[in-house]
Amino acid sequence: MTAARILLADDHALVRRGVRLILDQEPDLTVVAEAGDGAEAVRLAREVEVDLVVLDIAMPRMTGLQAAREIGRRTSRGSAPRMLMLSMHDNEQYFFESLRIGASGYVLKSVADEDLVGACRAALRGEAFVYPGAMSALVRDYLDRKRRGERMPETVLTEREDEVIKLIAEGLSSKEIAQALTISARTVDRHRENILAKLGMRDRTQLTRYAIRAGLIEP
Amino acid sequence: MRLYWKVVLINGAVLVAATLVLVFGPVSVSRQPAASEAAVLLPGLAVMLLANALLLRSSFRPVEKVVAEYDAMLERLEDERAASNAKALAAQEQERHRIAQELHDEVGQQLTVVLLGLKRIEQQLPPDLGEELATLRESVREGLDDVRRVARQLRPGVLEDLGLASALASLASDFAAQSPAAVQRQVAPGLPPLSPESELVVYRVAQEALTNAARHSGATSVVLCLSRVGGSVVLEVTDDGRGFDPTIAGAGLRGMQERARLVGADLTISSTRGATVVRLAVPVAA
Ligand SMILES: Nc1ncnc2c1ncn2[C@@H]1O[C@H](COP(=O)(O)OP(=O)(O)OP(=O)(O)O)[C@@H](O)[C@H]1O
Ligand SMILES: [Mg+2]
Repeated sequence: MTAARILLADDHALVRRGVRLILDQEPDLTVVAEAGDGAEAVRLAREVEVDLVVLDIAMPRMTGLQAAREIGRRTSRGSAPRMLMLSMHDNEQYFFESLRIGASGYVLKSVADEDLVGACRAALRGEAFVYPGAMSALVRDYLDRKRRGERMPETVLTEREDEVIKLIAEGLSSKEIAQALTISARTVDRHRENILAKLGMRDRTQLTRYAIRAGLIEP
Repeated sequence: MRLYWKVVLINGAVLVAATLVLVFGPVSVSRQPAASEAAVLLPGLAVMLLANALLLRSSFRPVEKVVAEYDAMLERLEDERAASNAKALAAQEQERHRIAQELHDEVGQQLTVVLLGLKRIEQQLPPDLGEELATLRESVREGLDDVRRVARQLRPGVLEDLGLASALASLASDFAAQSPAAVQRQVAPGLPPLSPESELVVYRVAQEALTNAARHSGATSVVLCLSRVGGSVVLEVTDDGRGFDPTIAGAGLRGMQERARLVGADLTISSTRGATVVRLAVPVAA
């Protein structure tokens, strides 16, 4: 198996180096190019064949979001690479905007050490990496519509998953949910994954469609 | 001469003249005034009043001028106060912006470097040391979260990066997280662009109105609406809570007024039990 080729863009050289070391440590991931701003990322994405582009949002010359829009638009040489946004902002609106412009997910820098590798793999598989803050907005909408008696795709959540989804909707973090239900945070994360899969929010395209329908993303 | 004496003198003079006319003139008043007497008395009274009014008017003219000047001065002072408040607000926003930027771009990045570095070292250490490092990593993460939180309070990054619609959506979901009331968001598509200053004012007014609705209204439903009305973009925050007397303003409501003034927008608050509406109309630049 060949490792997935990654283009990494961040204007802060030391952050870039840190991220690179984390990714290169994984046998299935390898950073093949680095960019120090958005414009350079767009240029490199055009020149170098890559499977995934990891973009910091706050960059000079062209923000990560602008660059992602450019890179996603490029179709001349086959399909555009998958994209993942990296940022400092803990706000679900960035996640929704990322989805809207074609990225697979949004990773908060303060959890990059834990989540980045998993997010890269999910993106490469064509799945969305759902930023935890956005998940509460998504499931809140789901629960609202269910309460209003709208017809929903038939989903069978287990009793535990039902408890977890309600706490997620209230905006609790994995750690807080784990404490509330006296289970481990890892178990909570597994429930989270299962809930997303059952609601059809795992797949990037499906999730984007759902979020547009829910009015969470402007089409 | 003091105004008081002037008035006394003028009135005195008119009364004296009337008395002289009454005493020496060819008029007299019986115990039961006859119609002919009234025909003389009434015009006499009218002449007296008219003379008095004319004479007093010229005396009061300078007073009226002073009052007008005083009113104008008050108005000017009020304008100046508002302008300097506006300037202070603008300076405050600018300073917040700078600090937030610094936090994000400097402190935040450095902490990210440390976080990632620790993670990498941890994997190469014997388990007991690794565990210690893991707790260190958690406190770096907390530091990073704090920095981010403070920066977010200082400056709405979403507004700058993603625009007003996303920023309002973000306020709505913050509201949903802190209040049991249901919040509905209606942002008309294709609104004309506003200046960055105006957008910030819309954002801050929406923020304060939502905070008030969450804190004071006891509402069950809140609507956040942005639309176009004529030559203005109009923000309306409506709640169905207990209502209040908007003429008694606290710092929050005054802040809204001052910010609105800053960009020539018009803020009106109407409130009755069950319907409170904060409405901000921002003129669209031609
Ligand atoms: N939506 C509302 N529903 C009911 N009462 C309200 C509402 N908004 C404001 N009020 C009342 O008006 C008062 C003044 O509001 P204002 O925002 O000026 O001050 P505050 O919220 O008390 O304090 P702060 O300066 O922190 O905003 C509030 O204390 C509250 O009693
Ligand atoms: Mg207030």
